Amino acid sequence: MISEQGVKDFLQTGGYIADDAIATAVFLALRMEKPILIEGPPGVGKTGLAKALSQALDFPLVRLQCYEGIDEGKALYDWEYGKQLLYTQLLRTQLDNYLSVSADLREAVERLSGEESLFFSKNFLVQRPILKSFLSEKRSLLLIDEIDRSDDEFEALLLECLSDFQISIPELGVIEAKRKPLTILTSNGTRMISDALRRRCLFLYIGYPEMEREVAIVRVKFPDLCEGLARQMVAFLRKVRELNLRKPPSVSETLDWAQVLSILQVKQLTPQVVANTVGTIAKHQSDLQKVAELAVKELS
Amino acid sequence: MERLVVAFVAELRKNGIRVSPSESLDAVQALALGGMEGRRLSRRLLRLTLVKNVNDIPVFNEIFNSFFSRFRPVDEELDLSRVLDAALISMEGEFTCLNEQCDDHEEPGPLLRLDSSIAPEDLQDLKSLHELDPDDTDGNEIVVQMKGYRGKAKAPRPTRRYTQNPLTIELNKSNAVDRGIVFSPEEQADMQQVVSLMMLRLRKDMRRMKNNQHRGKLHVIKTIQKNYRHDMVPFQLALRRKRREKPRLVVLCDVSFSVSHAARFLMLLLHTLQNQQLDVRSFIFNREVAEITDMLANMPVNDLMETIDTGDVVDLDENSSYGEMLVKFKERHLQNLRGRPAFIILGDARNNYGEANDWVLDEIREKARYMLWLTPEERDTWSRGDCLLDIYGSYCDKVEVVRTVEDLSLVVEDLLRDIYADRAHPIDRKRLEEAKAAEEYDSKDYYTRGAGGSGAPSFDPSGRSKW
Repeated sequence: MISEQGVKDFLQTGGYIADDAIATAVFLALRMEKPILIEGPPGVGKTGLAKALSQALDFPLVRLQCYEGIDEGKALYDWEYGKQLLYTQLLRTQLDNYLSVSADLREAVERLSGEESLFFSKNFLVQRPILKSFLSEKRSLLLIDEIDRSDDEFEALLLECLSDFQISIPELGVIEAKRKPLTILTSNGTRMISDALRRRCLFLYIGYPEMEREVAIVRVKFPDLCEGLARQMVAFLRKVRELNLRKPPSVSETLDWAQVLSILQVKQLTPQVVANTVGTIAKHQSDLQKVAELAVKELS
Repeated sequence: MERLVVAFVAELRKNGIRVSPSESLDAVQALALGGMEGRRLSRRLLRLTLVKNVNDIPVFNEIFNSFFSRFRPVDEELDLSRVLDAALISMEGEFTCLNEQCDDHEEPGPLLRLDSSIAPEDLQDLKSLHELDPDDTDGNEIVVQMKGYRGKAKAPRPTRRYTQNPLTIELNKSNAVDRGIVFSPEEQADMQQVVSLMMLRLRKDMRRMKNNQHRGKLHVIKTIQKNYRHDMVPFQLALRRKRREKPRLVVLCDVSFSVSHAARFLMLLLHTLQNQQLDVRSFIFNREVAEITDMLANMPVNDLMETIDTGDVVDLDENSSYGEMLVKFKERHLQNLRGRPAFIILGDARNNYGEANDWVLDEIREKARYMLWLTPEERDTWSRGDCLLDIYGSYCDKVEVVRTVEDLSLVVEDLLRDIYADRAHPIDRKRLEEAKAAEEYDSKDYYTRGAGGSGAPSFDPSGRSKW
């Protein structure tokens, strides 16, 4: 079917430059139908990978943003109480007719309970992201973003979904995925994720990219930026990352900066240019100072 | 191939990476799908399926390099062509190994590897060396005799400040490192780990409890808003929130020589906790009593320890006196303790035959939600000599013997649990009590139970964790 190099190539058409580890992970996830758990510092393209994949593979993207307190009603499915109520109201006259046939109360209850499944059927089920991706006719890409922000309970809830690609709904029974979605979980590592969840996933760590890859990323996103400048700014940012800043600049900052530089039509980095645009790469007061100092040291 | 993967997984497990059987199955499947040509590819495949933690990646790389470059003896039964194949593959492995310096996670393995097995004679040599060690001769006997008296048996330090000139004081500061007064970064990291494990266990209960704790009366407007789409039938309730405060703790720590190590660890533990979710007020005492809450918050722990050791906070050269300390504590601090804190007193209750003044504890008791006394001594020495723990202990809710850091963290964890349970919603309180009863046989560290406790961070090998 697809090879690793193939994965790399089609990701590139989606505007994402992957390294070998990423390509292997995507390849395996597609073949083994297992979720990928991606960890790494913010802004290195974890969510970007999912977006690029959905674009390149033409899988519809179903995104679930996690937050503290998210539960199954928000992630899997929910019953539409309002609609259920409305239907009972509207059907009242029909129900009266239907039940008037029965002789006594007991029989009426029995008749009604025979129709109970009417109100707990798929008509009244609200599909939340995970169920939606499972029921999608086309193979979809399920992105569970920032799983570390959710609670332990929610993680446990995901276990069944991720290992067997099925959801148990008490009223309906087990719903299995029509096409197993390609699942990507991302985490910033603010909380330890349980081993049970890790075991069900392929684990991919995306760190800061190597020089060549980062230059390539900049070149793909901003083709009008000349290669020399791209190289110079990436080299500079790599030094900045070693500075031990509170928030080291990651790839997204590189791209922001590249955009700023191309708007300003800068041809070469100078301490002055860095000082003017430092807000795009350093996000704390104390960091600004350090970056400016480094620029004077490195670039003049 | 299965055999190879299983052997590799065994090697990983031996080095502390947890790999489940299903993960090894994944690895086999991944290798079948991805192909085995090239060392880098196989390593990526194995890493994706077997390693599930960032911190394990360097260990994995190391083991991979050593495992797949090791020269393996081949059975005679194998035919020559297969042996040659194997040799070729391993040679290719070496070449690719040399070619992949640019790989981000690569640590080049050693080019020459010596056989790591140690001959039995060597072991014998090592053992005999051990026995010649002067510290080790008839060590057992002494330990038994010193049980509970370890601190007292130590000669008091001479008062350095008066007997020595400034120059040697500076030297002594560096000596302090050797005596183990300063915490090494590893120890602090270990403490962080102990605390974070503890917090992890606690947090699970806390979070659930927090939701209930916030609960107040029905918030009518919000409920109506929320249920608008349900035709105002209140399916979902919105409740008013209650204000929540951090649990308060007051810690009284004996810093005299007899219990100094225990005191230090308790302080470090509380210092680490303070940042997280506690309101701790810490006091240290010998004969004097002084509050160190602000110092704990603002100074690096090591500096603080040093300051305490020089006797600048409380005079360490005097004999400790619990009676005097209690009276002073009552006079100066008891008035301004707010909000029914829980008290922890750490000390051996050796009063040096002074006045007991145990009536103060009665007053403290009135103010306290809970009183806990921690002592490093065993139960049978509590009334021996000048130890007043039997008297003092009768005022406390609980007296616990703590000898190791793990003991300490467990005791503090239990205390926190109790405090939280005390403030919790009645439903939660019941649930917590049930959970606690169930925990008697359900060990907290399921994974480490079988592994001989290797999972719990060992605090130090030099015996400091035994006070």
